[in-house]
Amino acid sequence: MIRRYALAFGAVVLALSLAIAAAACGGSDDGGSEEGTGTVSVLSLWGGSEQEAFQKVLTQFTKETGIKTKYESARDFLPVVRSRLAAGNPPMVAIIPRPGIVADLANQGSLVSLEELGLDPEKINANYSDAWTNLTTVDGTVYGVVAKANSKSVIWYSPADKAVKTTQTWDELQSLTDDLATSSPIKPWSLGAKDSWTLTDWFENVYARTAGPDKYNQLFTGEIPFTDPTVKNALEMMSKMLNDKTVAGGIDGALGTGFVDGIGKVFSANPSAHMYMEGGFVGGITLADVNPNVKPGESIDFYPFVTIDEAQGQPLVGGGDITAAFVNNTDVAKLVEYLASPEAGTIWVSTGAIVSPNKGVTPDAYPNELVKKEAEQITSAETFVFDGSDLLPGALGEDWGTLLQTVLKDPSKVDSQLETFQQQAQDAFAG
Amino acid sequence: MSSGTVAPGTVVAKPPGRRLAALREGGWQALPFLAPALILVFFFLIVPVIWTVLLSVNKTRGLNFGTEWVGLDNYERLLTRDSRFLNRDEFPWSGALVNNIRWLIVYPILCLLLGLITAVLATRVRYEAAFKAIIFVPMAISATAVGVIWLLVYSPDPDIGVVNALVAGAGGEPVSWLGRADLANYAIILAYVWASTGFVMVVLSAALKGISQEVIEAARTDGATEWDIFRRIQFPLLSLPIAVVAVWMIINVIKVFDIVYIMTKGGPGGATRVIAYSYYVETFENGLGGYGASVAVVMLVLIIPVMIWQIRRFRSEAVVS
Repeated sequence: MIRRYALAFGAVVLALSLAIAAAACGGSDDGGSEEGTGTVSVLSLWGGSEQEAFQKVLTQFTKETGIKTKYESARDFLPVVRSRLAAGNPPMVAIIPRPGIVADLANQGSLVSLEELGLDPEKINANYSDAWTNLTTVDGTVYGVVAKANSKSVIWYSPADKAVKTTQTWDELQSLTDDLATSSPIKPWSLGAKDSWTLTDWFENVYARTAGPDKYNQLFTGEIPFTDPTVKNALEMMSKMLNDKTVAGGIDGALGTGFVDGIGKVFSANPSAHMYMEGGFVGGITLADVNPNVKPGESIDFYPFVTIDEAQGQPLVGGGDITAAFVNNTDVAKLVEYLASPEAGTIWVSTGAIVSPNKGVTPDAYPNELVKKEAEQITSAETFVFDGSDLLPGALGEDWGTLLQTVLKDPSKVDSQLETFQQQAQDAFAG
Repeated sequence: MSSGTVAPGTVVAKPPGRRLAALREGGWQALPFLAPALILVFFFLIVPVIWTVLLSVNKTRGLNFGTEWVGLDNYERLLTRDSRFLNRDEFPWSGALVNNIRWLIVYPILCLLLGLITAVLATRVRYEAAFKAIIFVPMAISATAVGVIWLLVYSPDPDIGVVNALVAGAGGEPVSWLGRADLANYAIILAYVWASTGFVMVVLSAALKGISQEVIEAARTDGATEWDIFRRIQFPLLSLPIAVVAVWMIINVIKVFDIVYIMTKGGPGGATRVIAYSYYVETFENGLGGYGASVAVVMLVLIIPVMIWQIRRFRSEAVVS
């Protein structure tokens, strides 16, 4: 008698557990362009003031369409997207910080193209120049729109700081740096090298101006090796400009300082360096998060990264974030279309947080001189090269930053580091 | 494992033959009751382990499984060509694996030493409760918060970082604790020691309380000094809890991830990467599921011996206590 109950009980437990396990294994459905659910989730890496600015755009979207949005912030964007994709729970829309990843994700079949969303790619792309639409196009299919643009070729300084003057050429900048290193109580440069992408931006500016835009594009698409002498040359120039004598806290100190703390070293109430080289977004972050007392044009300003080789001119290194869809429904299509519109761009730039590559956004939409100047620099650039480390496939972008940290600390390691990196690059470009 | 190898006096489990017999005699009735646990263990432990091992011999893009069989290539690359995991080009070796060994040596020893000292000393003072509470509080802070707290403590700016404020106060140059490849590992380990010493202390001081006062009084009557009491009575009687805590810490250290992620992200120049961090970077950041799985398998291989040792000891303890 007892045995029979035990058996029945066991069978029930077994069946239940199997059912639970089966339910856990199922999931992940993706259909065609379905009716939306009334809410769209958006994932991006922005937090703080950048998030608030974007939220204004989303709020306006909800006002106009009645579709709710749910913004999620993931500072560690890639790992979050990858694990959510693997779990069958991707965000509906994501703003992807690296175009190299757009191609990766598109090739894996994770992204929904504009056409599949029921949008007209040509009509949307008409508002953007080729430099931008190239970034969203993978094998002829358009997978999104560039949401925002950044110039990464600017040197920040304070006009109120009488020790610093603007420079035109690398030689002038080098001699200014050397002068300040000996004469000034604080160091010429601040560097937020704990975030290694600040170093990749430095390298890209130097490389584009020494080896030229063509070689630049070849290098970051795997056509020439990283062991090419031009790479070593650019690294050596960097080390001459940025070393223990010229960087606040020395290289060790810089490697322990993050990007935002690096800004603080120049623009806080108690500065320990004169200049900072990073993207146009430094202005917005300084005003909102670092020191609200600085005045654009008076105690914070920037000028374009100097010319190095006259023949190569002043190519602009720029970055951009791309809006792309992971889920296909009518609400998602509406949001993507809205984000690509000049209206959304105008609201967004009016916060001072970003520059829009959208041609429909007029210069008077920008709220202060700093962003207006950055927008001009982007639209008027003769040559435009895209942030190279963001174009590198998969692992390489991060690893390249790690290499720069190592080389900056110990320039004698440059050859062995480049050789190892080239081996990795070969594997990565081969896919 | 034949029953012959088990040391005398430690046998608890029945020899395998008898166990089977027990099953035949009607022990199968236990199966329905074990089934829920067994099924959970099967689906959430055994299947993922097999899955990971299979992944590790494939080349994958994203987390999709089984795109391309590559045999042991992932392991070969991991152990010979990945300088951030194991760099044998120059002495001393470096890389994530070596960093983990550094953790394995420094962290448990420091924790045990400090935990033991505080536990023994705490029993001898009148404000014992307050003292223990202070040491134990960091235990209630999550590892991520510990990371953030110590990021500020180590800040290279003397106006922010306490440590550098002390250094600057003593007339020294501020040190970039987390920016120097030679110091960063130890700086992180120290932060983690701060967070877990409290746990060691609590376990050991509970064990100390368990030692009968009569034994100690008898020793005193026999003329033992306080040091003798610690050295010949308390310490030997504490060896069991110490071993338990040590195993707990060793397993923890092999898996350590969160505090490294928060404090340095494996930097500068990859100098503070640990195995779990490499796994995370390869799998999620770089999207190399197969390669990441091979890192996970290496970690598993390192943990298994510790587990086996622990389980064996559990069995023998059943008789001892």
